[in-house]
Amino acid sequence: MLIRNIRYACRRYSQAVTFRTAESSPAEHNSNHVGLFYTINKDLCKQLYGHGGLPKSYMKQSKTFAETVIMVRQPALDIIACMKASDLEKPVTKYVLYGEEGTGRSMTIAHLLHYAFEEGYLIIHVPWVSDWLRRVQRHKEMSNSLTREGMVDVPLDAAAWLLHFKTQNQHLLKSPELKISKEYVWSKREKTEAGAPLSELIELGISRVKYACDVVDAIVHEVKHLSNTGKFKTFVAVDGYNGFFNSLTRLKTPTKKKVAPEEVTLTTSILELTKGDWKNGVIVLSADMIANPDEQNKQIFPMNLLYRKGFNHLDPFVPVKVDRYSEREFITCANYYRDRLWLRGPPEIEAELKLTSAFNPYKFMEQCAPL
Amino acid sequence: MSNVIKLTIRQVIPVSKYSSCLFNSLNKHVREYSSKTVTNADDIFKQFTDWETLSKKKTVSKAMKAYLERARQHDEFMKKQEVEYNIGKRHLANMMGEDPETFTQKDVDRAIEYLFPSGIYDPAARPLMKPPEEVFPARKAAEFDEAGRPHHFLFYTGKPNFFKLLYDAAEHLQESYKFEDKVIRKKAVPDQNSKLELSSSMWVTKEELELILMEKVTDLEYENFKLVMERLVSLPYSYRCIEFIEKYRKPLASQKFALEIPKPKFDEEGRAYITTYECLRKKARGDVTIFSPGTGKVTINGRDITYFEDIQSREQVIFPLIFTGLANKVDVECNIEGGGPSGQAGAIRWGIAWGLRSFVERSMLESMQVAGLLTRDHRRRERKKPGQPGARKKPTWKRR
Repeated sequence: MLIRNIRYACRRYSQAVTFRTAESSPAEHNSNHVGLFYTINKDLCKQLYGHGGLPKSYMKQSKTFAETVIMVRQPALDIIACMKASDLEKPVTKYVLYGEEGTGRSMTIAHLLHYAFEEGYLIIHVPWVSDWLRRVQRHKEMSNSLTREGMVDVPLDAAAWLLHFKTQNQHLLKSPELKISKEYVWSKREKTEAGAPLSELIELGISRVKYACDVVDAIVHEVKHLSNTGKFKTFVAVDGYNGFFNSLTRLKTPTKKKVAPEEVTLTTSILELTKGDWKNGVIVLSADMIANPDEQNKQIFPMNLLYRKGFNHLDPFVPVKVDRYSEREFITCANYYRDRLWLRGPPEIEAELKLTSAFNPYKFMEQCAPL
Repeated sequence: MSNVIKLTIRQVIPVSKYSSCLFNSLNKHVREYSSKTVTNADDIFKQFTDWETLSKKKTVSKAMKAYLERARQHDEFMKKQEVEYNIGKRHLANMMGEDPETFTQKDVDRAIEYLFPSGIYDPAARPLMKPPEEVFPARKAAEFDEAGRPHHFLFYTGKPNFFKLLYDAAEHLQESYKFEDKVIRKKAVPDQNSKLELSSSMWVTKEELELILMEKVTDLEYENFKLVMERLVSLPYSYRCIEFIEKYRKPLASQKFALEIPKPKFDEEGRAYITTYECLRKKARGDVTIFSPGTGKVTINGRDITYFEDIQSREQVIFPLIFTGLANKVDVECNIEGGGPSGQAGAIRWGIAWGLRSFVERSMLESMQVAGLLTRDHRRRERKKPGQPGARKKPTWKRR
C-alpha cells in the first residue's frame, strides 16, 4: 500500500511540472501558463457550475478524474486582460466567442466565470440558451404570459435559472446594498415593496413559479439599474447566444402554434441585458453552430450565426476566436490524460491521435475515452 | 525382367536342393544374370521351362484391359478434338480474313474476344477456344505393366507421386545430415554465402502441388509436405539439394511494381512531388499529390482532415503515412469527388500509398504490399434485386 502510494506520488510529482500549474487564481494567469491545467476547488465548482456551465461530457470526465481542471488558453487570457484594462464607467463591452465545434468556447466561458467570481462581479450566466428554446421534454411547462400580451412563459426553466443565479451569487446577495428600486405588484395579495433585498425577489420567483419569468425580467432591470448606480460590477455570460435569433423555437403554444424566439419572455429579458445602454458590466457571449442546427451552410463566423438581426443588436462587439489546440497544448493535454491513466500505451499513440483528432479538443477527448 | 526371373529361380531352387554344387553355380549365374542381363547360350537356366512367366505373359490382367480400353478411347477422343480444333481455327481465320496457315493461338483468342464480346465478371466463364490439350486435363499413364504389376514402388500407398516426394525429401534430409557430420569431423564451418535465399519465393499452393503431382492432396498431407520441406530448408547444407527445393517454390509476385515506380518531379521551391491520378474506390475519383519534405499537412479539397467527420475515414487517410513512418515528413494534397466518405477515404488511402512508393525503401515497399496498401479495391455496390428488399437480403419469412 505504502509503496503504491509512493509510486503514485512519484509519478504525479515527476509529471506535475509539465502540464499542471499551481496557480489557481485566474487573475494571476499570464502567457506563461498557456496550455497548463489549473484545478478548481470542489465547493467553488459546485457553486459556479452546479446548475450547468461546463459541457456535459466534460462534467462526466471530471467526475471520473475526481477533479475539475481547466486549461489556461489564449482567448480567456485575452479577455481577462481586456477586462482588467477596460474602463467600467464606459458602456458595457461585449465579447463574442466563436470558433469551430468542440474548440472550447464553453470552457473559455467557464474560465471567465471563475475569474469574474474571484473579482467580485455579480454573475448573470445562462448556461445554454437552447435549453430554454429548443429542448422540449415531455412535460415542458408552458403558459401564456399574464403581464405581456401574446408572449409565452417557460416558468420552470426560469425558476431553475433563478436558482442557478442564486447559487452563483449567494455571497453577494447577502450584502444589504442590493435593494429593489421600485415596487412590483404580482397579484392582489402578493407584491414586493421597493427597498426590499434582491434575494427576496429571487425567493419569490423560486417559490411562486408562476411569476418566475416576470421575476427574471425584474431582476434584469434591477441589475442594470444597480450597475448604473455603481454599487457593483456585473458579468454577463450567455452560451449559445445565437439561439435567440433563430427563426423558430421548438416550443408550441397550447393551440399548437409555433413560437418564435422573440415571443418568449426570457428572450426579451436577456436581449434587454445585452443592449449597450448600461455601464459597469462585461458581456461575454458565444456564437455556436450547434445552437442553430437549421443552418445549411456551416460557417463559424458571428455574422453568419447571429444573422443581420443579432449582429445589429450586438454591434459594436469584440469577436474572439477560439482555436484548436496548438502543438504545445495538445502535448500537455495528452500528458494530463496519461497522468490520469486515461491514455495508455506506446508514445506513438499521440502521433496518431494528433492526426485523427486534428487538434480538436473535443474530438481528442472523445477519442481518448475508449483507449 | 530380372525381378521376374529371380523369383522363378527361387522357386526352382527347392528342386535342386540336394545338389550343393548346382546351388552354388546357380547363384553365381544369377548374380551374373542380374547384373549384366546377358544370356549365355549354355546357361543351365535355359534348360528349365519357365511356365509361370509364359502363362503370365499370355494373360493380361483385367485392370490392364480396362485401362487399355480407356486409353484407346481417350486417344481417339483427343484426336477427334484436335481435328475439330484445327478445322475451327481455319474457319476462324477465314472469318477474320487472315491466313489460316499463320493463324496462331493468340490470334484465336483475339478473334474470339472480338466475335463474342462478353462482360461476364469471371474471365474463366467467358467464351474461349483453346487447343484440346489445354481444355481437357492430362491423364496419368498406365501405372502397371501388362501383367498387372505396378511400376511404381509406392503404388499401393494410393498416392505414389506424393509419397515419392516425401520419400525424396527424407532422402535429402538424411544426406544432408551425413554431409554435416562429415564437415564437422573435418572441423570445417558451413559457408555463409551459399546459404539458401528463399525470402523472395514461397511454397507452391495446394492446388499447384496437385497439378504437379497429378494427384489429389488433402489439407493434412499438404501440411506434412510443407513441414518436411521447411525442415529440409532449415538445415545448413540444404543448398546442396537446391534443384529439388526450387521445384516446389514459386516467386512472390511483388517485383512487378518495382520497375514502374516513377521518379518524383521538383516544383519551383525545390520540393520533390509526385501526383497519382485516377485514385478510385467505389464511386469516388480523385488525384493525390505528395510533397516531400513536408510537415504532415493533409489537404483534402482545400480543407484539412476535418473534411471527414468520422474517425474511421480519417484513420483510412492517415494509415499509409503512419505505416511508412512518414507522417511528419510529407505533405499531402488531394482533390476528390463522387461517392461517400468511406469511398473517398479509401481512394485517398490508395493514392497516398501509391505515391509514397517513390519515397520509401525497397523493404518497406514489400511490407506495404503485404499490408495490402498497394492493392486496389475493385468492389462496387451490388445492385438491388427485384422481389427482395436488398442485394442479398430476402424478405422476412412468414408462415402465412
